Amino acid sequence: MIVLDNVGKRFDDLTVLEGLDLRVDQGEIVGIVGPSGTGKTTILKLLTGIVEPDEGRVTVPEGPLTYVFQEPRLLPWRTALDNVAVVLRAKGMGKSAARTEATGWLERVGLKGFENYHPEELSGGMAQRVAIARALAVQPRVLLLDEPFSNMDTALEIALMDLLQMIIEGNSMTVVLVTHDLTEALRLADRIVELTPEGRLRDLDVSDRLALAEEWLSAKIRPRS
Amino acid sequence: MMASITSPDRRDGVDARPPAEGRAAPPSVRPTGAEPASGSAPGSDAATGRPGRRMRRRSQIFYGTLGVAAIVATWQILSMVVNPAIMASPGATAVALARLAWGSELWLQLLITLRRLVLGLAMGSALGFVLGVLAGLESRVRAFLEPIRGVAVTVPAVIFALLALLWFGLGDLTVIFVVAAIVVPLVYVNTLAGVLAIDHRLVEMGRVYRFPRRLMFSQIYMPGIASPVLAGLTLAAGWGVRAVVLAELLGAMNGIGYAFSRAMSYLETPVLFAWIMVLLGLTAALEFGVLRPLRRRAMRWRGRADS
Repeated sequence: MIVLDNVGKRFDDLTVLEGLDLRVDQGEIVGIVGPSGTGKTTILKLLTGIVEPDEGRVTVPEGPLTYVFQEPRLLPWRTALDNVAVVLRAKGMGKSAARTEATGWLERVGLKGFENYHPEELSGGMAQRVAIARALAVQPRVLLLDEPFSNMDTALEIALMDLLQMIIEGNSMTVVLVTHDLTEALRLADRIVELTPEGRLRDLDVSDRLALAEEWLSAKIRPRS
Repeated sequence: MMASITSPDRRDGVDARPPAEGRAAPPSVRPTGAEPASGSAPGSDAATGRPGRRMRRRSQIFYGTLGVAAIVATWQILSMVVNPAIMASPGATAVALARLAWGSELWLQLLITLRRLVLGLAMGSALGFVLGVLAGLESRVRAFLEPIRGVAVTVPAVIFALLALLWFGLGDLTVIFVVAAIVVPLVYVNTLAGVLAIDHRLVEMGRVYRFPRRLMFSQIYMPGIASPVLAGLTLAAGWGVRAVVLAELLGAMNGIGYAFSRAMSYLETPVLFAWIMVLLGLTAALEFGVLRPLRRRAMRWRGRADS
């Protein structure tokens, strides 16, 4: 279980998170929504351990944890295949086995034939799919997704979400998805929490997902008065 | 677990582009909206940009040859109007060079100089690289080394040569010391710049994915700093050749620098010019035989992405 207990985080004089509590059960998919700049990414970074909380306690289950960043963050000097294989090698897998495994993952995200392309040769969406393949390849216990579909068109986004859902369900992975797009969270998440501009989390009622999506979309397209 | 994306990926976007050389063929049907960044006209050679590059290369060779021809022509004209005691003609230089090459003199002196140059470059580059990495990773080391760097880059090579002569006397050690002293700050500055410019988002990715130190170094740090380090090595090689000649001129009894001073003392101008040619050949061999292939190898991924 992931637990954030009364967590606070400041960057210099700016308080980003304060008194934050969140529990995510094993196998649960939680979406954190909220406008940009409210500290959603900071929550994920706290979970990875690369950022330490100033207050409170962060508990993450043992086992592999992977992160799909907002941007692909691929090694520009390595091919798509090597970008996936390298995380398997980091886990201790042999070079040849890692490449074989990585080939399968690239195929699963629809990139068969692009194994030997370098990131600069791929479109933004394709590069992000390599990043998703990289995150899934190590079969993580905890998967963190930071607006992972922002570079993709809707059709591809839905296809990737279906794929993610299948893989997540088959592996009882714990997933935390942060996004500013509520509909994205509604498609993937079991539970959705909203991060308010004050840095607090508020549970959203997702019993009627369609109504929630309609409400959110209409607020989005409502003309400013 | 065996799920994969089949739809809508395989609906649209027929890709007729042939695979680039040495790569796996892209699928015949490509995902919607998933154009590779470097994609261009399907099936055309222009897709890889090869003919354009070939033309550019030919043009570069043509103008480069023209530049060399202009230098030789100017040299020939000058040698016809200036006293041959101070300006040997290209012809006389070629004859002197052939004589040197025929005997053992050229190869012996070349080997002596090359050995000192390689040792000085290797020691200076290794020290500059290690210090550059340490300074890049630790600001206290950087602050500590800053005054030393300032001194090292401002002291002229001739001062190093005179000091080395004073400390070590005539011989190998003096020459190697001078080359290393000139090379260290050049490689240090470039390595430091490389380490400071490393993409921290990639380092963060490596930390999240728990890369062991070995992989962090080989997959993120080394490729990340390769370009500035190689630029530093290129600079160092050029300065190393100058330094080795200067040091041999002042502080050795053999080597190309010493051969210069001897040819000058005996007013053997064609021989002096022949040694200049040897030096140019040495520099060209370093550039085209070692540095350029190294840079190409390290930057191969960029060339591919540009094609």
